Amino acid sequence: MTPLLILTPLILLAALGAVWNARPVHAALLLALALALIAVLYLIIGADFIGLVQFMVYVGAIAVLIVFSLLITRPGDEAEELARRPRSLVTGLACVLPVLAILVYAVSRVVKFPDAPVENPSVSIAQVGQVLFTSYAPAVLTVGVLLTAVMIGAALFARDPGKNPQFPSDS
Amino acid sequence: MTPLALLLTFSSLLFTLGLLAVLTRRNAILILVGIELMLNAANLNFIAFWRYGPPDPDLTGPMFVLFSIAIAAAEAAVGLAIILMVFRHTRSTDLNRLDSLHG
Repeated sequence: MTPLLILTPLILLAALGAVWNARPVHAALLLALALALIAVLYLIIGADFIGLVQFMVYVGAIAVLIVFSLLITRPGDEAEELARRPRSLVTGLACVLPVLAILVYAVSRVVKFPDAPVENPSVSIAQVGQVLFTSYAPAVLTVGVLLTAVMIGAALFARDPGKNPQFPSDS
Repeated sequence: MTPLALLLTFSSLLFTLGLLAVLTRRNAILILVGIELMLNAANLNFIAFWRYGPPDPDLTGPMFVLFSIAIAAAEAAVGLAIILMVFRHTRSTDLNRLDSLHG
């Protein structure tokens, strides 16, 4: 319990930085920090395999992808962003706080599980592999097809249309 | 406060922060940052219910999160590719400037 009490505020601080930092690259790096801390959280509560996957996919791939996209594109005007801040904060909070209130109310009334152990035993990677390639095999194959399609689609989107005369350049 | 309640409250806050980023940011890439935070909050709920809920020999919670992470990676790749394509056309990722379809 104590590690959770230390770790969760840290994650929230990093996430707050990702949401609120005016410099886009700093925000993306703070997102990477928050995602890495969430991976540590998974390791602490016993979901070892998910923690490792979270670290590889989110920190290693998605966060790096976001940082590189920010470096490729031109960031917006920082001064304009700062001037817009107070107004957008008011509207943003007006939309978000009711959602938070509903969520916290729902959590405070969350179903108690009388038959639940204090915590379920953590799983080994062998168990995960066993389940993954027996009961969940169709889903694994589907995800493989999806990722192939996504890879082709993303390459098609991101290519420079001027380079290949076979495709009409979309002006 | 039980660990389950703590984790659920924490993920509610994380989800709210992500929603705030989506609503207040104007840079399309930083809106994706908010979406990633919301996805992580949802994944955390699955893990919390698996860990502190009734026994679950099928590992439904971790498996759902595993597939959710795979889909999130696909979503981020396609999303960023689309944003790069838009940037190539308009030289900007500011969503307020992408109004050429407005009526």
